[in-house]
Order: sequence, then C-alpha cells, then structure tokens
Amino acid sequence: MSSLGKPMNRVEDARLLTGKGTYIDDLPVFPNTKQVMIMRSTLPHARIKSIDVSEALKMAGVEGILTGQDLRQDLRQDLDYLPVGVTAPVEYYPIAIEKVRYVGEPIAVIVAKNRYIAEDAIEKIKVEYDPLPAVVDVEQAAEPDAPILHEQVGSNVANHRYFHYGNADQAFAEADHIIKHKFKFPKYSATPVETYGVLASYDHASEVHTVHANFHGPFILHSLMAKALKVPSSHLRLITPKDNGGSYGIKAGLVPYIVLMAAVSKKLGLPVKWIEDRQEHLMSSSSGTDRVTYIEAAVKKDGKVTGFRMKFIDNVGAYIRAPEPACLYRNHGNTTGAYDVPNLELETMAVMSNKCPTGLIRGYGGQQTYFPLERMMHIIAQELQLDPVDVIRKNLIATEKFPFRTATGGVYDSGDYFKAFNLVVETGKYQELRQRQEEARKEGRYLGIGFACIVEPSGSNMGYVTIALTPEERAKSLPKSGCPEAATVSIDPMGNVTVRISTTPSGQGHETVTAQIVSDVLGIPAERIRVIAELDTNTSAWSIASGSYSSRFAALGSSAVYHAAGKVKAKLIKIASSLLHTPEDELELQEGRVFVKGQLEKQVPLRRLTGLAHWNPADLPAGMEAGIYETAYFSLPQAIQPDENDLINSSATYGFVADLVLVEVMPDTGEVRIEDYFTVHDAGTLLNPKIVDGQIYGGLAHGIGGALYEELMYDHRGQFLTGSFMDYLCPTAPEIPRVTLKHIETPSPLTPLGAKGLGEGNTMSAPAAVANAVSDALEGFGVRIDTLPLSPNYIWKLLR
Amino acid sequence: MNGKGSITLEAGVEQAWDVLLNPEVLAKCIMGCNKLELVEEGKYKADLSVGIAAVKGSYSSTIELADLEKPKRYKLIVKGEGGPGHVEATGVVDLSAVDANTTTLNYEYEAEVGGKVAMIGQRMLGGVAKLIINDFFKKFSKEVKQAVGS
Repeated sequence: MSSLGKPMNRVEDARLLTGKGTYIDDLPVFPNTKQVMIMRSTLPHARIKSIDVSEALKMAGVEGILTGQDLRQDLRQDLDYLPVGVTAPVEYYPIAIEKVRYVGEPIAVIVAKNRYIAEDAIEKIKVEYDPLPAVVDVEQAAEPDAPILHEQVGSNVANHRYFHYGNADQAFAEADHIIKHKFKFPKYSATPVETYGVLASYDHASEVHTVHANFHGPFILHSLMAKALKVPSSHLRLITPKDNGGSYGIKAGLVPYIVLMAAVSKKLGLPVKWIEDRQEHLMSSSSGTDRVTYIEAAVKKDGKVTGFRMKFIDNVGAYIRAPEPACLYRNHGNTTGAYDVPNLELETMAVMSNKCPTGLIRGYGGQQTYFPLERMMHIIAQELQLDPVDVIRKNLIATEKFPFRTATGGVYDSGDYFKAFNLVVETGKYQELRQRQEEARKEGRYLGIGFACIVEPSGSNMGYVTIALTPEERAKSLPKSGCPEAATVSIDPMGNVTVRISTTPSGQGHETVTAQIVSDVLGIPAERIRVIAELDTNTSAWSIASGSYSSRFAALGSSAVYHAAGKVKAKLIKIASSLLHTPEDELELQEGRVFVKGQLEKQVPLRRLTGLAHWNPADLPAGMEAGIYETAYFSLPQAIQPDENDLINSSATYGFVADLVLVEVMPDTGEVRIEDYFTVHDAGTLLNPKIVDGQIYGGLAHGIGGALYEELMYDHRGQFLTGSFMDYLCPTAPEIPRVTLKHIETPSPLTPLGAKGLGEGNTMSAPAAVANAVSDALEGFGVRIDTLPLSPNYIWKLLR
Repeated sequence: MNGKGSITLEAGVEQAWDVLLNPEVLAKCIMGCNKLELVEEGKYKADLSVGIAAVKGSYSSTIELADLEKPKRYKLIVKGEGGPGHVEATGVVDLSAVDANTTTLNYEYEAEVGGKVAMIGQRMLGGVAKLIINDFFKKFSKEVKQAVGS
C-alpha cells in the first residue's frame, strides 16, 4: 500500500485552483496596519545631497516618511548594516544612506493610510543628487580606474580567489590541442507571479518583531536579519504564509525588506504592510548573476579533455549581499560537470557594479557554469571534426567509478551517465535528426542539434560558502558544514496526525509528498495526515539550512520527515510490545494496527496506542514519556567543511540531466524555433513522479527563457531598461516546445529514501543545449554563440 | 537617444531668431507646457506634463539657453525631474538665411532619460521624442508665420 513512487495528485491543488490559497496578501493584518510604498533611486550612482519630505508629510493620510538618515541616526542602535559574505568591508543597509548605487535602491519609505496616498506622496518628495559616473560592465568594473562604488573597499572587487587541482600545467603541456573561448552569461531573473510581501509589527512590551514574509530561506539569513536589527534572534519572529506564489530562489532576496519593514514599524510604532509591485520586482528585488567566463581546455586528439583553465567573473551588482558570492561556489564540487577531468585551474572573482544586487535564482550558478562548459564540448567537437556525441562519451564519468570524487572535492553519490546519455540519444533518434538536418540544408533551411549533459547538485552543504575565503582566512573562524533540516510528527489525543515541516514550499507540493512518506511509515492513509507548511521561527523546528532552495526537499526535507515518522513508529511499537507482551522485533505496523508477525489475531489498533500515550500514560512502559511528538533533524555526514586544499563536497546529492534539442533558425528574421526537446533525468528514487515531471517542465521553461528571451538590461550609463513584461520577455505556454521526458533511477546511497533533488535541472542545461543547437545550425556562417539570450535581433546581427 | 532634422521658416533670419527666443512662444510650442517663467537671464523654470507609454506625469524642469550666437545659433538645455523619472536633453539650433524672407533651421538633439521612463518607456522613447519635436516645430513655424504677418 506504499504511496511513495506513485504519481499521486497534489493535495495543494484543490485550494490553489479554486482561489482558496493563503498568500502573503491574503493574511489578516495586525490592527491599525498602514501601507508602505518605497521611493527608489532613479540614478545608478550618486551622492544624496538632500531629501526634502516636508511637502509629502503634509498630505492627509501620510503617517510618516523615513529616509536612510532617519533610520540610521535616530535609531542607530537598531539598524546596523547587513553582514555580507566576504571579508571586503562593504556596508549594506536596506535603504541608501549617503549614496545610491543602483537604479531602484530604496531612498525613502512612505507609510500612509493606503497605497494610493503613499504612491502620490512620492511625487512630493524632492531629492537632490550629486551624480557620479556609473559602471555596469563587469570587466570594466574590475579595472583599477573604474568608478568605485564603496570607497572603504577601495576597489569593486569583493572576492578574488585562485584554485589549483591536479596538475593543469602538465595537462596543457601534453595536450594535442588547446581550445579556448570567452563567454558571457547575461543577468536574468526569476519572475514568480507573486512578488515580495512583508507584514511587520513591533511589540514594545516584549521587544519582539513579528514579521510575516513570503521568504523561503535559507534560514541562515535569519541570524543576519536579527543582527542587522540588533535584537536577539529569538526576538525576530519570522513566519511564512501557507502558500507562496512561486519563487524559484528569488524570494531569498527579501532579507533587506524584512529588516527595513521591521525597523520602520518599530520607529513609527505602527504595524506596516508592503507588497512589492512588478516594476519594483524586476528593477530592484534581486536577480541572477551575470558572468564572464574565460575557459581553456587541454584536449587530446581523440577529444578527451585532460584539463581546464577557467576564470569566472561574477557581477554581483551594487552590494555583495549574502549568500553571494555563492553563485561562484555553489557548483564548486561539480565545476567539471559530468566529465572526468582531474586537472583544473580556476580563478574566481565577484565584482560590484551599478546594477541591482544579485542572489539565488533557480539553478544558482549552474547555468553560469554549464553554459561555457557545455559550449566547449561542442566547440571541441567542431574543431576536431568529431561528432559531439563521441566527444561527450569520451569524457563522461564511467559508471563503475561511482561514487566519484571530482577534482574539486565533490562526491557524486551515484549515477549512470552513459545509460542516461545513451537513452537521450536513442529517444531523440539522433542519427535521424542528422539526416533531417542534411535534407533541410538542401532546401535552404537551417536545423541544428545540441546536447547538454549536466550534473544537478541538490541540498547545499552550508560549508561551501566559506570556500570564498582562503584556507588561512577560514582557519580564523569556526568551521561550517552540514545541511540540516527538521520535521516534527505528532499524534494528538484523538489519534490524528499532524506533520510540521520547515521546507517553506513555494509550489513544489511538499505537503503531498510529506503526507505520502508519513503515510507509508505509519500505515495511515495520506488523507488523514495534516501537513503544516508555515514556518514560524519561534515555534517550528528549524536550522540554518532550512527552507526551499537548492532542490533540498527530496534529498533532505523528505529525509527529516522520514526520520521523524520513524521515531513515532518506534515509540508506537514499544507501547505495543508492552501491551501484547511480545518483543519489538516480532511486531509489524500496517494499516492502522500493530500485530505479531504471523499471528494476525494478536493485534492492537494504532488509536489504542496513541490514546494510551495521552489518556492513560500510567500504563505506558516504564520510563516512557507521555504524548506522541517527535522531531528529527537530518543532515548528511558527507557534507563536511572545505579542507586545507580547498576540496569541498558542495552538495548533498548529485543527479544527472542529458538534453538533446533540435532547433531551426530562420536566417531572414533571426528567429530560433525549438522543434523538439528530449531530456533524460536521473534524480535517484522518485518520490512522486507526477510532481517530478511538473518540476522538470517548469525548470525547462525557465531554461528556455534564459536561452531565448530573458535579460535584465541596463544602458551604458546604468539606467535600467526592462521594467515590465513588455520589456522583459518571459516564455509563456505557446513558446514551450514539445518535450519528451524520460527517467532513469539510480538511488542515492546517502538518503534514506534514495531520492535526490531535481527542481532545477533544465534551467541549468537548456541555455547550453539550445546555444549548442543554434551554433550547430549556423556553423556554415562561421557563427559561434557565446552569449545569451538568442533573441531574433541578436541572431540577425550575427548573420550580417 | 539622439536625432536631427531641419525645417524651413518663412521669415528672415533675424525675425525667426526673435520668435525663437520669445518665452511666450516657447510656452505655446512646447507640448504639455503648463507654466514657463524666467528665473534668470536665459534660464526658465517650466512645468511640463508628458505621457510616454504608460508613464504619465509632470516634470518640474529648467530650460536654459546657452552659447547664444545671435542670430545664428544657440543651445537649449532641458532638465526635467518628476514622478516618472528624469530627462536631460540638449538641442542645438542653427539658423541660416536662404533669402531675405526664408530661413533654414537645423536642429540636433541628444536626450537621456532615467527612472520609470527609462525602465518601461524605452521602447516608445524614440517615437515620443520625434513626436514632441515635430510638434514643437510645427507650432513654431505657425508662430513665425503669424509674427511675419502681423
């Protein structure tokens, strides 16, 4: 009767599809709540000479207006800057203090009776600026003569590291070919339907900030927020709503707004509500990180890559804010992807510029890493006149090498990359596609075929962020490791089960899968299990890694649930053992009862066991506590801190994705059409294949957005140009091609259910696969794709 | 964003110059100009309301005339700031006599916008700028004609 592994419908969908979800804007507000509007900088870089709010304050309905200076000077002990993830002395406040450093940076907070008044009040505020030169290009920003954003840092480079693994010098000396190229990955975003929202209230009696926000972790950031507000972390009560209207990582960027609203609420003595609008979201919430990559491969004449030299330059925007520069390092353990390449030299830089600060979006660092890597495999095939399939096979990690230790310290827990890759080649009928391509060319049409093979890391090891520091710098503070997640399973006096999770889902169906797991362990129908997904930092079991990011539910969240349910089961068996006078190992729990193996008549219903724990604890076995309430924390012992050689197993589990895509490019219009998309995934054991497929289709749509449509654009002066969905293009249903999805399952040996994360997959692979296909189509034109998105304008220009 | 163009005025160069520098005429010809007042020699304060794409609103602006070479050439510097963002534009106007009653006016402009206008109006900006400028000169030729007639 196991429900795991079955394509169960999602319990969330009924309420979501009938408009009964509870999102941040649906929550009841604190009494006397006022609405907030944020005035934002229209200049990319300037000193603030003055902000005159006097006219705006006179407007009826305006309750208060606060600027950076008000919050900093009048409330100095309450608003410190947010700690950043590097040693560079960057001061990051949630509101501009003396300078603005990007278009959209908050400069004043207007609190009013309603949003209309607050928005109108902005027009009455007079800001005088002293404009400064701006820089948006990451390589220019890294130059010594670039305009400096943070004077006390002295340069725009916030983080700079060199890594050496194996012997790259020797690999390059012995190479038959050295192939190099420069790639640019653009700044693009995640665009959930629901934008940011915060409700904040401060209780002067208990000195507690209560904040509701559609934040989803990582909850390590809770400690940063409490620090910025200068309150004990127990006094920042952060609660997430039941439903979150999508995030794809970007809602980790709520941190400054949670701090800002908490500080404003305290200062004005009023509860406040802020709901971000779409323009704000595109301009100033957060975004993916744009990266320039220089990559060089040492290649043998058969296509075998023996070494890489890489340089990553990440544009982290105006402030490097935690968890950045993690875009550089989340994939550190899998820098060489699906390939067996033992020698690597890597230089990493995080550079600040006058763009919106960056952070998590689906794939975080993966698409930036795999775009150049997978393009290189294709370029190697082109240069050596080999079939890309052969080059990939020449370099894929052999099946018998798992668990595989990468050059950088990643430990790929399981996999069969050849099986998955062969399956995609076969499913897509690769040879037939080549024939079609040849025939089309005769008709003057340009078809192209592209592959991508990527490793999908899931469940970040929190220790990876410290790889930004040198081993010597790391040695100065206590080590960080692990990926802890928590869950609580309880049974009330009437025998009903409640599960509390801390994985803050934003549409991934965690309630459904949690109920499936608990149902399997306790032999209770899933419908009878109530799952509470709201996280409350004052009452939930949680830890620094809690939250929804890095595809951690299937690997870690589900494991915590499994163990918590296991603890409850163990207790129930113990009670049954005393009631049935039978040793525990002779008992079995199934379908709502415990019975003696082979003697079905000797049984006791679960209700009786749980009832005993509540109604009659005197009859419990000696020494046993009353009640049924078990919490489990789960982390992986393999998620250890980086070592002195900078080896880091940056994630808990590693899945695999192989893509094959067929495109047609129209040389007259520059349009790229995806004709067919084949993708094979290995995410270990699948807990709910229906949810899995939904996640994969969503990730693929986002990946196609990155490949063809999405870019947050700035002009050379730092003005932001894509503030609406007419300027920032997202794919909609008609843009999504036919997709053929297949799975193989090599269970993870590390997680109790054998599952791995899978929520990001094609977000990371599709930009590379599509770019490879477009390059393949346009090979005759001498075109080599090295940037994205592949808009008709861009392709058209390339062809002329 | 930049552009240029030229029109023919049915007036002598001196007369065209006088009309061009008349603040009342300026106020009439600038689209959406609600108020124009002289703050100092060659510098005006203006209230302009303009809609660009979905971005409608008013700008408090300064209009400055610089590098005057009567009656041939001057520079017009417009700086506007308001709810929808900010605009900075520089135009150079060049007059040359064709004959005693005809003058050719050449103009070149450069404009930078910021804030909301840039982020959601960028697509429309070039078109709107052309519209505003064409409208200005259309009205202006009419004013010149009237001045000649009177």
